[in-house]
Amino acid sequence: MQRTLTDFVRALRSADVRVSTAETLDAFRAAEMIGWHERGQLKDALAAVLAKSADEAEAFDACFEQFFRFDDFSGVAPNTTVEDTAQDEAELEQQIAPGEGRGGGGGGTGGEAVDEPNTAANDDTQPQTGASIPGPSFGSASSPLGRQLMADDRTALAVAISQAARAHALEDIKVFTQQGLYTRRILDSMGRSALMDEILAREADSAAGDRALGAELRRRYEQLRAHVRDHVERQFVLHADAQGERLRERMLYKARLAAISRRDDALMRRAIERMARQLIAAHSRKRRVKQRGQLDVARTVRRNMRHDGTLIELAWRSKQVERPRVFAICDVSGSVALYARFMLMFLYSLGDVLPKVRAFAFCSDMAEVTDLFKQHDLDEAMARTLAAHGQGSTDYGHALADFERLALDDVDRRSTVLILGDARNNEGEARTDLLRKIYDRAKRVIWLNPEPCVAWDTGDSVMSRYRAHCHQVNECGSLAQLERVVSDLLRHVR
Amino acid sequence: MADSPVLSPAETLTRVDAVSEALARHRYIGSSRIATVVYLAVHLQKPVLVEGPPGVGKTELAKTVAAMLELPLIRLQCYEGLDEAKALYEWKYGKQLLYIQVLKDKIDDALGGARGLRESVERLHGYDDIFFSEDFLEARPLLKALREPQGSVLLLDEIDKSDEEFEALLLEMLSDYQVTVPEIGTIRAAGTPPIVFLTSNNTRDVSDALKRRCLHLYIPFPEPALEQQIIETRVPEITAALRRQLVAFVQGLREMDLRKPPAISETIDWARTLLLLNVDTLDEAWVRDTLNVLLKFEDDVEAVSSQLPTLLRRVNG
Repeated sequence: MQRTLTDFVRALRSADVRVSTAETLDAFRAAEMIGWHERGQLKDALAAVLAKSADEAEAFDACFEQFFRFDDFSGVAPNTTVEDTAQDEAELEQQIAPGEGRGGGGGGTGGEAVDEPNTAANDDTQPQTGASIPGPSFGSASSPLGRQLMADDRTALAVAISQAARAHALEDIKVFTQQGLYTRRILDSMGRSALMDEILAREADSAAGDRALGAELRRRYEQLRAHVRDHVERQFVLHADAQGERLRERMLYKARLAAISRRDDALMRRAIERMARQLIAAHSRKRRVKQRGQLDVARTVRRNMRHDGTLIELAWRSKQVERPRVFAICDVSGSVALYARFMLMFLYSLGDVLPKVRAFAFCSDMAEVTDLFKQHDLDEAMARTLAAHGQGSTDYGHALADFERLALDDVDRRSTVLILGDARNNEGEARTDLLRKIYDRAKRVIWLNPEPCVAWDTGDSVMSRYRAHCHQVNECGSLAQLERVVSDLLRHVR
Repeated sequence: MADSPVLSPAETLTRVDAVSEALARHRYIGSSRIATVVYLAVHLQKPVLVEGPPGVGKTELAKTVAAMLELPLIRLQCYEGLDEAKALYEWKYGKQLLYIQVLKDKIDDALGGARGLRESVERLHGYDDIFFSEDFLEARPLLKALREPQGSVLLLDEIDKSDEEFEALLLEMLSDYQVTVPEIGTIRAAGTPPIVFLTSNNTRDVSDALKRRCLHLYIPFPEPALEQQIIETRVPEITAALRRQLVAFVQGLREMDLRKPPAISETIDWARTLLLLNVDTLDEAWVRDTLNVLLKFEDDVEAVSSQLPTLLRRVNG
């Protein structure tokens, strides 16, 4: 059972349920206590020990159903009667358990999950039983696999498949296209080539008995192959699906944001949400409550012990309120709009640690769009922002003047000003004096430029002139860079 | 306790079904998942983190388990700013100050006859340092729970409302059932460790470190059949027909987009209200008059009022 559980934990991990070693040990103890017979209780118990959030519970459910599924072997042995199929299957289920991952429950207690595939199996079996009349007329096969197939020893076959799968590290399967390869490898190590030789030899043989045996072997082999393929596919779903998605996520993470297509939007958003969650955890809020005027008796007494217990110094309960304020100024012209979208998406996902984000959008005129983002969801808010402010040619000087009018008074020592733009000013006036004003008032001014460093100051870009009046200038063309900037921001905001 | 002929309540819970039955005897009707988790909590001695929407019986579960196991329930309501002085321990300052006064008076007697500073200091070392000792320790809920020799049920209600620092404080307690007081040392559970329930309404994510130490239980809104059973247990006087109607109605409400959908506690309150008013079948007038028992926001009441006929038709049809 140990192997089964560790395999299950591994499957859970690849489905993005974070399971620690301590939790795995807990799972062993829980499973031991509950026993393997009551599937429902086992599931509840493992869920309580292993899945620790609503997301994880969902992933756990899917994984459990997939992993602890009844393994139906009807195809391999078509020539048994319906009655003993059911009986054998209960037996098989028990013997198969360590290899196949199905907790070997006793026949009756397993609940509906056992019954269902059973009926399915029986439906399969019946017509086949009718079609191929089992007979003692077949001679004995000579190859080992052939003998196994003819001996109809399903337990042995099941065990052989699992062993072969394990020998080839099937749980490491990564991509969809590997399925055929793994199927082939498993069959090979079960003795496929010897069997094929035998089948070919017998089919070519003149004796009718040999030909019949050859045909029967081929039929059984095909069923075995189908079964192995199913097994591989199931393992692929268990182990590789989530990994594949993460691979794509990693690629997206590094890709330039402008190159990301609409199609990946959902994935992108999930990636951003995940990053935001990690950042929230890492920069757990250290918000302190200021309770002025409340005497801290304990500290007072302790502090005054050195004065012989005469109260001379008083200690007050006072805790600092730290309210980070972020002013996000986004250029929403043309290509930069896309970056603005992702940055705002990121900033607003961080609501827990960054409660006060004010957003401003400009092309030439600037306007505050904070309310838009409060009232609508991101797509809607972004669309409205673009419709209202996205026209005209970029004019940073004009925009900075607008910002001075709109919000400069609110910028103070606790404020961080984020400016997202390519600093391409269309030969307009730069108004660095205004940026200097912001610089003098704010805690930090951070300029994020989506263009690669080498493109700065080429053409009409005046990045270096603005750069002199910023605390920090970053390139932020990809999600990875964006994350670094935001993480930095959180560190400094504290 | 193993050799005593009378089994303690915890020892009678040898199977998950036994837990279900015991909970039901104490009028707590829950899904099998709840029973399984309680069973594991008792036998694995692990704390349970209970999550779910407000009013589904998270706190009630802890109370029921306490009653079921015949253990004292120690409850700690969490809030922002809760610190160790309120949750864990505090020194008895008044007493400590008095002790200083007494010490000053008695110091001459204690050191009487000692010659020279060295001897005085040596003599002083001879006395126990009781200033920071258990005598002056004021136990707060967490420490109290540890000190119950027969064990206890410790309920940390609404853990999500507390600060993260407080969570860190809990870690030692939850994994090893011990707390460390710097001046004294480590205090371990006196006998059976407490059974700990933490409840959370998910206003913020509880830290991973805490989650890892706990069994996780999510209590959702109940299925209709389960909710009927709950009402039957809690408000047995109500007729079966009305019970079916009101549960169906409440279930219908939960499918609507409400600011606060009615939970089990509201269903129970509503059932009691209808009983008090001698209602025997749901009609529009009664529902309209008593809707504020179920819904706590004016917006919700308005939204539901406008759709009452449709909702009721579905219940009766």
